Amino acid sequence: MPAIKPDAPALLDAAIDYLERELLPTLDGYHRFQCRVTVNVLAQVRRELALAPGHADAERARLAALLGHPGERDELSRELAARIRAGDFALDDPALLAHLRQSLIEALRISNPKWLPEPEAG
Amino acid sequence: MSERDDLQPRLEAAVRRHLGPPGEIRDLVRLTGGATKATWSFDAVVGADRVPLILQQTPPERLVLAPGVAPGLAPGLAPGRGPGIHGAREAALLAAARRAGVPAPRVRIVLAADDDLGEGIITERVAGETLGRKINTDARFAAARAGLAARCGSILASIHRIEPADLDFLADQPAHVQLAMYRAIADACDHPLPAVELGLRWVAEHLPRAPRRCVVHGDFRNGNLIVGDDGVRCVLDWELAHLGDPMLDLGWLCVKTWRFGGSLPVGGFGHRDELFAAYERAGGGPVDPAHVRFWEAFGCIKWALMCLQKGLGDLGAAPGARRSVEAVAIGRRIEEPLLDFLDLITAKEP
Repeated sequence: MPAIKPDAPALLDAAIDYLERELLPTLDGYHRFQCRVTVNVLAQVRRELALAPGHADAERARLAALLGHPGERDELSRELAARIRAGDFALDDPALLAHLRQSLIEALRISNPKWLPEPEAG
Repeated sequence: MSERDDLQPRLEAAVRRHLGPPGEIRDLVRLTGGATKATWSFDAVVGADRVPLILQQTPPERLVLAPGVAPGLAPGLAPGRGPGIHGAREAALLAAARRAGVPAPRVRIVLAADDDLGEGIITERVAGETLGRKINTDARFAAARAGLAARCGSILASIHRIEPADLDFLADQPAHVQLAMYRAIADACDHPLPAVELGLRWVAEHLPRAPRRCVVHGDFRNGNLIVGDDGVRCVLDWELAHLGDPMLDLGWLCVKTWRFGGSLPVGGFGHRDELFAAYERAGGGPVDPAHVRFWEAFGCIKWALMCLQKGLGDLGAAPGARRSVEAVAIGRRIEEPLLDFLDLITAKEP
């Protein structure tokens, strides 16, 4: 079966557009706040659809390099957490810090790009 | 029957009983609702006066939940710990704070069992703004903003002078106990994250040596202050108060999450040296900026774990329980304080 059109991002764009441009201006108080949060949540999903696959591949490769063996991203991440907790890495290990920073920056490009320093926020 | 219609007659009876007739309630509005605690604003007619009041209550039906069953934002609700300070204890704490010169809410009623309103207090309502973003960006607060960091410093010095003798319910939470509390939250969430593990280990390896021990507010930050054009009018949300290291309050106030649209490190509205100098001038004792930075960095990890707990908050809740869009959105904010933490511990400055 060919790809369904309109695709998921197009559906989300239409939903976000309605909530933000038509519904939000008619609301105040509790529902205005909840509607704004809902728009933000849907915009995160929109960015996640576009960015997450690339991030996951890159993170898996970095984790495999840090831990010295291949594996699935989530399992490698769990293993890294356990090894940090066990004291297997120095707190100032440059490769570890670079990996953590990169992973957080990539996650923030999805969840809240405005939190990143200016050039990142684009 | 709405929650409001259900509350109103019992509230009128309570006001009549404690403050006097006629006790009529006007403009009853719910301000916030947490997992266990609700805040309502209303005016009460007492004699010929109309008294602006705030009710904070844990409704009777919520009191049956065992502590830890409903994990909320408050670490006081972490597994194995009792809920935060409220009711008669909160009233005692607020009275002690006012005696120490802190602008804390004035308590008018401590709810009793007869009131059938659960546990809680009714305080005088203070006019002003609590939204951090408005405090940091609204033109009408421009003059007040310039003095806010210093005012926070002098208020914190007063808080840290609160006499703890009659407040024996305050838990002893030096840094290593706080670390154990948040370690327990991380373990209960069972979603190990490398950056959180790095943070908890960093905290364990940088615990302050020989800190002072006094009454600590525990959640002193932009968002928990009522601000007017004349400055800070009231300090709210005392439920995380405990005995501990006073530098916790200074560090928590600097955590980037509470800067709400402002760029300056203290609450978005001021500089660290203004805060520290005012604290010392007001007799709070010497401030070591590195010691405050420890609590700011630990604060980032604490907020990250609160986000994690909030995001996973329905684990263990009743089947079919709804997750609010607000709760899941807070869950997705976890990377913000974790990146801020890395920035803090790798910064070149002291």
